[in-house]
Amino acid sequence: MGFEERLRRIRAPAAVPDANAAVSPPDGPSLTERLRRISTGRVTPAPVATGTPDESALAVALGAALLCPGVLCLERRLDPRLRHGRVLLGSSHRLVHLPWTPVPPVGWISAAHPPTAQPLSPWLCLDTETSGLAGGTGTWAFLTGLLRPDGAGWCLRQYLLTRLDAESAYLERVAAELAPPACLLTYNGRTFDAPLLATRFRLAARPDPLTALPHLDLLAPTRRAFARAWPDCRLATAESRLLGVHRDGDLPGSAAPAAWLGWLRRGETGPLAACLRHNRADLLSLAGLLPVLDAVYRDPAAFGADCRAVAAAHLAHGDQPLALRILTANRRGLDAPGLHDLARLHRRAGDWGSALGIWQDLAARGDLQARAALARFYEHRGGDLARAMEFTVTLPPGPERERRRDRLRAKLQRGGGGQQIELSIDIRHDGV
Amino acid sequence: MPDSGRSPSADQAVIRLKDRLLKGYRARICGELVRPATAASLLDLPPDLAPGLREALTARGLPQLYAHQREAFDLARAGRHLVVATPTASGKTLCYNLPVLDAVLRGGKKALYLFPTKALAQDQVAELIELGRALKDAGADGVRAYTFDGDTPGDARKAVRTRGDIVVSNPDMLHQAILPHHTKWAQFFEGLAFVVVDELHSYRGVFGSHVANVFRRLKRVCRFYGVSPTFIFTSATIGNPAELAGRLCGETVTALIESGAPQGERHLLLWNPPVINPDLGIRASARSQTTRIARMAAKVGLKAIVFARSRLMVEVITKYLKDVFDKDPRHPPRVLAYRGGYLPSERRAAEQAMRAGRVDLVVSTSALELGMDIGALDVAILNGYPGTVAATWQRLGRAGRRLRPSLGVLVATSDPLDQYLVRHPEFFFGASPEQARIHPDQLLILLEQVRCAAFELPFRDGETFGAEDLGEMLSYLRDEGVLQRQGDQWFWVADSYPANAVSLRSVAEGNFVVIDTTGGAQTIIAEVDWSSAPGTLYVGAIYMIQAQPYQVERLDWPGRKAFVTRTQADYYTDAIDYTRLKILDRFEGRASGQGATANGEVHLVRRYPGYKKIRYYSHDNIGYGNIDLPDQEMHTTAVWWQAEPSALESALPDRAQAIEGFLGAAYALHHVAALRSMAEIHDLGRAVGDGQGTWFAVTGNTGRGQLRGPDNAPVDGEGVDRFEPTLFLYDNYPGGVGLSAPLYDAAEVLVRDARDLVAGCGCTGGCPACVGPIMPGDEVRVITPREAALRVLGLLEGGAPGLDQCAAG
Repeated sequence: MGFEERLRRIRAPAAVPDANAAVSPPDGPSLTERLRRISTGRVTPAPVATGTPDESALAVALGAALLCPGVLCLERRLDPRLRHGRVLLGSSHRLVHLPWTPVPPVGWISAAHPPTAQPLSPWLCLDTETSGLAGGTGTWAFLTGLLRPDGAGWCLRQYLLTRLDAESAYLERVAAELAPPACLLTYNGRTFDAPLLATRFRLAARPDPLTALPHLDLLAPTRRAFARAWPDCRLATAESRLLGVHRDGDLPGSAAPAAWLGWLRRGETGPLAACLRHNRADLLSLAGLLPVLDAVYRDPAAFGADCRAVAAAHLAHGDQPLALRILTANRRGLDAPGLHDLARLHRRAGDWGSALGIWQDLAARGDLQARAALARFYEHRGGDLARAMEFTVTLPPGPERERRRDRLRAKLQRGGGGQQIELSIDIRHDGV
Repeated sequence: MPDSGRSPSADQAVIRLKDRLLKGYRARICGELVRPATAASLLDLPPDLAPGLREALTARGLPQLYAHQREAFDLARAGRHLVVATPTASGKTLCYNLPVLDAVLRGGKKALYLFPTKALAQDQVAELIELGRALKDAGADGVRAYTFDGDTPGDARKAVRTRGDIVVSNPDMLHQAILPHHTKWAQFFEGLAFVVVDELHSYRGVFGSHVANVFRRLKRVCRFYGVSPTFIFTSATIGNPAELAGRLCGETVTALIESGAPQGERHLLLWNPPVINPDLGIRASARSQTTRIARMAAKVGLKAIVFARSRLMVEVITKYLKDVFDKDPRHPPRVLAYRGGYLPSERRAAEQAMRAGRVDLVVSTSALELGMDIGALDVAILNGYPGTVAATWQRLGRAGRRLRPSLGVLVATSDPLDQYLVRHPEFFFGASPEQARIHPDQLLILLEQVRCAAFELPFRDGETFGAEDLGEMLSYLRDEGVLQRQGDQWFWVADSYPANAVSLRSVAEGNFVVIDTTGGAQTIIAEVDWSSAPGTLYVGAIYMIQAQPYQVERLDWPGRKAFVTRTQADYYTDAIDYTRLKILDRFEGRASGQGATANGEVHLVRRYPGYKKIRYYSHDNIGYGNIDLPDQEMHTTAVWWQAEPSALESALPDRAQAIEGFLGAAYALHHVAALRSMAEIHDLGRAVGDGQGTWFAVTGNTGRGQLRGPDNAPVDGEGVDRFEPTLFLYDNYPGGVGLSAPLYDAAEVLVRDARDLVAGCGCTGGCPACVGPIMPGDEVRVITPREAALRVLGLLEGGAPGLDQCAAG
């Protein structure tokens, strides 16, 4: 039986009239009616009231320009003396030396940006507002905010998509802004804004301009420094704690989808304007966070950041002296793992005395790792086999302890001194 | 292919075992079939294979192809959609691997493989990796094959998307992860040349209807990337492979059903356990027979596999066999259980032990019916009919690989379907009677899938998706607030991800989640289909997971949530439900015997007034509870039968008996209809009423049929004005899933099948294998429930109204 025949069956009234059966109208019930009939518990939607969006009026209300049907752009120049919370925005964009992060990040290096080079490109802060957080091809980035250095100050541009069928034109304008040279600066943009824009460009059959730009996302360094200190690392938390910014009457990001839908369906402009303000505030915080985070990474304790994590970041980027300096300066505040990190750095720098001091403090508090380090030290470096044995026997039982104990016992029986044994230290100490 | 491991003594052992069974248990064997050995039909490898492929195949011992493999290659290369429906172990895998590898090696083409289970997908990837190695040895490029499923770690997903030549996944991942993120897969889609769908026969009913729509979405996305891939399906033997494949992918599909693979001689016995209580029609358990046959097989040195229908039964049979064969713990085990729920590592180890021939008896659920390689076995014993003839052959096909003679034994349980089938060997021996049905345009399924499709790419005016008016559906979704129309396009604007809310295994309405609140935390422990929720998730219900009882404490009906806590209850609960049906619209009808049959739309009301608490083991009823739920209403499609009132009155003058006859006939029809339509029993519902919703019939506490009114109060049948009982079989899903129309077309066959089922039953007055359970004593009544059902079925069929004539025929 073909499709049409089956459809006829569902839609046509009974071929043989049956006194028992209700008779449907000749055309059959409407789709909505049929859905209502077979649906259990489903609420039939009432048609949504539709106003008529007026783009020109919106442009006026926002102080934006209508670039073409469906695309608005709001442009502002920001004075370098402008303050955002505690921060003077003019201080941000000259910042090029960031010892705490490899910019451009390794994955984004192009031939023009060898890994050792500092960014040659000016910062380009990017933040989008979207029709939802679900991701996938059905999520729109309806507002793209961009903030870049402009002379001594900054230039802000916000592109707003006001018609669904104008996305291609909208993306064309956004793409033009995302041309090199520029280094993207985002907050959670690596996993959110950038993939979302990539999807939109792909759907519009356009190349993705973001792939050509180096990209620094501030969420990861913020999280590294403050994950243990703050309840969360959202941008709102970061700006309030680091910049002293408190937004009054801010439209929460979660209300953005409804604001845009309100415009598309009913032509509402108020919530959309609030959405643009929210986006501007995000961009300013982004620009403001950069110099503060730089300061955090130079002196984490001053900001209540996690010294150990910050030092580890410097170490990972090859800056051992800075890592050592930070840990040394904050030795009092370090927990046991932090102290071990510090001892390791001392040891690497050949400062055995300082390392020994830390291990002894820790061992006195019952720290097993420190006792093991001391056992190793006295066996291989200090040449004091008896003390090495003292620490060894306090270690938890296991094959490693047994091996060390047997070895020490043998050495002690041979009456060996420190001198000839000392030769093996280099290899042994890697795991301390 | 020559079989070096063939041993004449094992060949004889199979025949000897069969002879011994025939000699010792003649009365239990109600069907016997021998399929002679067939020789291989071989063809040369295609002359212009991609460089290295010929060498790699030759190195793997494949210098030639079976005829159907070569045909498949030629069709696939010509871009024709095809389905390979040849028996188990006929080399179906190469039917798609060869054209796919050829295309990958030639020009960077990609392929998507869809398997219904993860284990099968992993097996495939292992095989592809080996082929890739052989290709590299032959100097060609390798192929990169990856699985993509829920276990694929986040950081590996990008590599799969961008680097995979062959991505092996499943329909759910395609639906929820790949299509809604198709832009991330752009590179893959741009090269997509083949979509391979294994185990086609499992795509039926609700699941198949959804997947057909997922393929509509896939094809839309493919058009966006400028490709139109070729579909290659493989299937077990069913009656309509080309039709089903065609409905699934919306294209014309060529079927290859002749196998060129050689096959050893196959013997099949249909085994019915002996009757131990003739009055109540009770037979010995299938389990006792199955273990006996398995023991006999192992004792003569044959390797056997036992298939059971539940995980519990696997464990029970394994224990009984281990008690015989694995008494000495110093020896490696000869008996092994294999089922879902074991750790993957455990299963891999079991597969390896089987392949290496270290195991004599394997006891498995359907987990092994699919194409996992477990080496050669001699005997397959099925403890109960697996539900479809196709699955029966797949399981039997596990024995007799590599040209050796093999023996299959189907042991019937006392289920009506089993009893019917063992008495009708023609179901196995003729052409496949099974027609797999899907209904992709089922309104609710279609609507949910249009929703998902609209999320993936905007619809344009004039586009089509399924047989319904797309514009009307899009307007509906706009009114719902998820779409916005601008220009000539319909754009998705909602803040949601619709695929997550659409399960491919249910009809819309949203599943219920079961949330464990024991100890204050909230953990989702199960999902329950909307239609079964009211009967399982009511306040007070005991909900079981892996034999752990949970009690439902609170129900959030609109939010589709049931909050449960762990409990130690020594009882389980059973909801009491009453179903009333009213005919809304009759699509068509015709005379049938001394009555009429029709199909159309019905309105169904199911009420759950309360539940019973039943103690474990003793099965005593230890109390009742009230269920406070609104009536569950459903519009669906149904087929129904009515008897001409005067004919009914002369056949069964007593109205109570007439009702009993209808109830028994409904029971039998329900089961044979499930068989014909490849449906699960619960995909269909049955009811007896007057068609107006004024009364309906139930089997009361006394075991006798009773009439009830709309308020569930008893109604006196003799006082009813116009007594015209109607027997309904309905699609048990809102809107129907297309099961009832084909049942109407086959109404005469069904009535005949049902009458055969009842007439041929070994019981006296009725039993669970024919008309449903009866009360002790009923079998001595003048008109037994069985006789009443036969009279009703006789009226509906026309002609012979009673047992005497049936028994004589």
